[in-house]
Amino acid sequence: MNKLKAYLQSFLLWELLKGLALTGRHLFARKITIQYPDEKTPMSPRFRGLHALRRYPNGEERCIACKLCEAVCPALAITIESEQRPDGTRRTTRYDIDLFKCIYCGFCEESCPVDSIVETRLFEYHFEDRGENIIHKDQLLALGDKYEAQLAADRASDAAYR
Amino acid sequence: MVSFEIDGKKVEAEEGSMVIHAADAAGIYIPRFCYHKKLSIAANCRMCLVEVEKAPKPLPACATPVVEGMKVFTQSAQAIDAQKGTMEFLLINHPLDCPICDQGGECELQDLAVGYGGDVSRFQENKRVVLNKDLGTLISTDMTRCIHCTRCVRFGQEIAGIMELGATGRGEHMEIGTYIEHSIDSELSGNVIDLCPVGALTSKPFRYSARTWELNDVAAVSPHDAVGSNLYLQVRRDRVMRALPRDNAAVNECWLSDRDRFSYEALNSEQRLVLPMIRVNGELQATDWKTALDFTVKGLSKVIDLCGSDSIGALAASNATLEEYYLLQKLVRGLGSSNIDHRLRQSDFSHDAVAPLFPSIGLPIADIEQQQGVLIIGSNVRKEQPIIGLRLRKAFLGAARIMAINAVDYEFSFDLAHKVITPPKQFVASLSRIAKKLANETGTTIPAAVGDWAGDVAVSDSEQDIAKVLAQTGNQTALLMGQLAVSHEYYDSIYQISQVIADMIGATVGTMLSANSAGAWLAGCVPHRGVLGSTENNPGLNAGQMQKQSLKAYILFGVEPELDCVDGANASNAIGSADFVVNLSSFMSSASDYADVQLPLAAFSETSGTYINGEGRVQSFGGAVSPKGEARPGWKILRVLGNMFELDGFDYTSSPEVFAELDLSNLEPSAKLREVAIMAPPKTETTSEIDLERICEVPLYASDPLVRRAHALQACADNPPPAARVNAAQAKELNFSSGTKINAHMGAAIVALELIIDDRIPNGCILIPSGYPETAALGGPGMTRVVRA
Amino acid sequence: MLNQESLNRINKEIAKYPVARKQSAVMAALHIAQEEKGWLSNEVMDFVAELLEIRPIQVYEVATFYSMYELAPAGKHKICICTNVSCMLCGSDTVVAHLEKKLGVKLGQTTDDGRFTLKEVECLAVCGGAPMMQIDKQCYENLTPEKIDSILETLE
Repeated sequence: MNKLKAYLQSFLLWELLKGLALTGRHLFARKITIQYPDEKTPMSPRFRGLHALRRYPNGEERCIACKLCEAVCPALAITIESEQRPDGTRRTTRYDIDLFKCIYCGFCEESCPVDSIVETRLFEYHFEDRGENIIHKDQLLALGDKYEAQLAADRASDAAYR
Repeated sequence: MVSFEIDGKKVEAEEGSMVIHAADAAGIYIPRFCYHKKLSIAANCRMCLVEVEKAPKPLPACATPVVEGMKVFTQSAQAIDAQKGTMEFLLINHPLDCPICDQGGECELQDLAVGYGGDVSRFQENKRVVLNKDLGTLISTDMTRCIHCTRCVRFGQEIAGIMELGATGRGEHMEIGTYIEHSIDSELSGNVIDLCPVGALTSKPFRYSARTWELNDVAAVSPHDAVGSNLYLQVRRDRVMRALPRDNAAVNECWLSDRDRFSYEALNSEQRLVLPMIRVNGELQATDWKTALDFTVKGLSKVIDLCGSDSIGALAASNATLEEYYLLQKLVRGLGSSNIDHRLRQSDFSHDAVAPLFPSIGLPIADIEQQQGVLIIGSNVRKEQPIIGLRLRKAFLGAARIMAINAVDYEFSFDLAHKVITPPKQFVASLSRIAKKLANETGTTIPAAVGDWAGDVAVSDSEQDIAKVLAQTGNQTALLMGQLAVSHEYYDSIYQISQVIADMIGATVGTMLSANSAGAWLAGCVPHRGVLGSTENNPGLNAGQMQKQSLKAYILFGVEPELDCVDGANASNAIGSADFVVNLSSFMSSASDYADVQLPLAAFSETSGTYINGEGRVQSFGGAVSPKGEARPGWKILRVLGNMFELDGFDYTSSPEVFAELDLSNLEPSAKLREVAIMAPPKTETTSEIDLERICEVPLYASDPLVRRAHALQACADNPPPAARVNAAQAKELNFSSGTKINAHMGAAIVALELIIDDRIPNGCILIPSGYPETAALGGPGMTRVVRA
Repeated sequence: MLNQESLNRINKEIAKYPVARKQSAVMAALHIAQEEKGWLSNEVMDFVAELLEIRPIQVYEVATFYSMYELAPAGKHKICICTNVSCMLCGSDTVVAHLEKKLGVKLGQTTDDGRFTLKEVECLAVCGGAPMMQIDKQCYENLTPEKIDSILETLE
């Protein structure tokens, strides 16, 4: 019985029609392709892009040079040097991230006890010269300053799940 | 022996020992904070609570003596519950600042909190805050973190012997501190940093500079004193970050003196010599190695051609490595000269011929604590050799009677049974009187010269007492000569008469010198003996002669003549007026003013090598970091110089190859003179009544080029600025008061100093330290005239 | 530093202990010093340390541990009010309030004229006569505001 059914279906081009029906359905469906870079996809607040160092609202840098991010980094991309600042606090004198080594796993962000090192939503960046792949403390702090509003909002929206 | 059970495991322990000892020996870990193997038992942290069968409550393992047949459970529900409870209480007032705490990563509280701490605190009240104390330049404090284990207090009380920290207040108001703010001036204070189980006491120079998990341990040996303390250099990215003690029960146990612990700072000093330099048209110019070495060879060859090879001499520091000494003497002897020495702070070389194979303290360091009697001769042993001071304190606690003949009534960490405080000039006479009295007591005959030295002066009470004690303690006695004896103008006689005393009772005699003085002798870095004590047929000039009569060319190996020589002023004059001076040095120094060529030498930690300490212990070590700048290890520089002079046997490729040429097996720590031959005393010189005899001590933190550049040590309370010290009666006689600005005249030299009244100084003496640029112009020991400035 | 009488008394205390255990006399010595000077200044404590041949910190430890040593200048009379449970139930609060009002100082303070120091202390073992206070070495029981007034009047 089944043999007969299969024979009839092949004779009537049933599979072809079935395929064309799918094509037809998609022809009229709503498209998901976006016109990057003119258009962009929505992003999660947990997106892990370029790093930044944040500050407290009073302008003091958050980083206390505990070096947990350096220790936890699986790619050994972070290099920190620290000393006692004249006011007695523990601070970094150097905070470098090698973006070629970084695998954007987000461990640094997770290990940070003061929410200092964070990953922004920034993922479109490039380097023109050798050496630019290593970003320094001042650049990281500048990034933090620039995107602070977004960073704070992202952290607030995710706080409930931490 | 008592046998009992821990966690079902049968263990044996000595009667009277505590459960924690047995557990440690059996490899069963019991958590603890206040217990430390070298300190007394306080049992105040309660972390080591364990369950003991038939005991109604958990008992502290550190304070529960073992009992036959007892059953101890360290992992039972009751024990764990008790430990968790203790941990919760400890964490009540402990701040959660691990991320900024230097102890983070090596913190006993942090480690145990992972095992026993809760993740949430039930303590809702405010945590207490304790103000930080200022304990000086070496220890930084965060007293809020303190958990009151009192290890630091007990260390001061029991080990260092000078209690400066205490626990004031009680209950929640208890604080560890000095009560009245003052810095700790103990030569061993750094050990409380290691003892502190939390981050309350941490190292100030190291503060916030690295994390423990970033550091690699490299085993090393301290380059400062005759002990040769074992230590770990902790290295990060080719830089020494700090030094920690390395346990060695025979040498330094688990302690380290501050000098050994903090001198690493000098390795990164801005005064480091990092480029070879040659003098062109009177100016030192940086250059490359090839030019500098060519310049050196040319310069030395020219001197040899013109004035003969006897006109060159080499002076080496007393903390160079064995390999460096060996190659230096090989080089100098290869060039045809025997003018080589390292004994820069010695003035009397009369007993060279009868000297032992190598200078030692006379007995193994660990045996010092078993002595019944110790006679210290001219030494501030606590500051000169801190670890030997520690052993002496242990001997004292074990009922040894320690006596001293000193020029200054130094404060020791042990009580002196008897002491003779006398001007240095009287050392020999005083020793002779003791020897005479002792000969009476024991009925032995002694050389007549001893009687000549003793003179007509009656034996004083304390001299008699010392002789009596020596007669009683017999062969359980050690005679230890220190820096004031070694730099004494009649060191030979002091040594000889000490030997006479030692021979009478079977005691040991020894000298406490520098890190590798023994190595220098064994490597042949002395003018009258070759390698391993072989006789030198053609003895050259010794350090004293080389400092006095100017040779045509000098090779300085790690020496700062102005500060390292017994008569710095004369030495730098003699060397400065030479035609050609080669300065191998790790640092820019006053020798840079006259050196014709400066070769940057790898410093301590940057070179491999061997030290032989005061008990003849051969300790080799590797380099921890690469030499700074263009500096090179000494053995390599010397090797290349040997090649360039086309001398035979300079084809080494590593320092162990150099070491292999020396057979150093069976080194016995004996400093016994081969023969006693006491010189007749000199005719008494008439000295002016108003002149004072200078006591010329080298303070703890002025002892070698490395320490002199360690900032934290230089700034600490134990290193006061150089001053002139006299006792109150003397000051009154001279009509001076404390703080008077004075001028000290010695010969033609005048130095302006502040006067300090110090009743440790005997009459007729003035203490002016050497090893400081401020006092270098005065030269060595001698008579000083003091005038109001 | 201390007068001859105090020194004699301290030496008597020292004599009670073995020669090597002079330290044991520290509490008695501090009491004697405090009786003479009224309170223990750092200089007095250093002096006691020297007398007993111990380090100053060992004296500080003892002096700060016990509440009956005064480490700041105290008044001529020391009024110690018990506020432990028996006294509290019998009305020590009113005693404290009355004294504070009358002397114009808070607990732990000294009056401006230097006559009285008010101190709150733990149980002095006179619960039978609660509320109580101790002035200098004398005990006063079953206190009422009137009784307190009359007691204070008798004191210089």
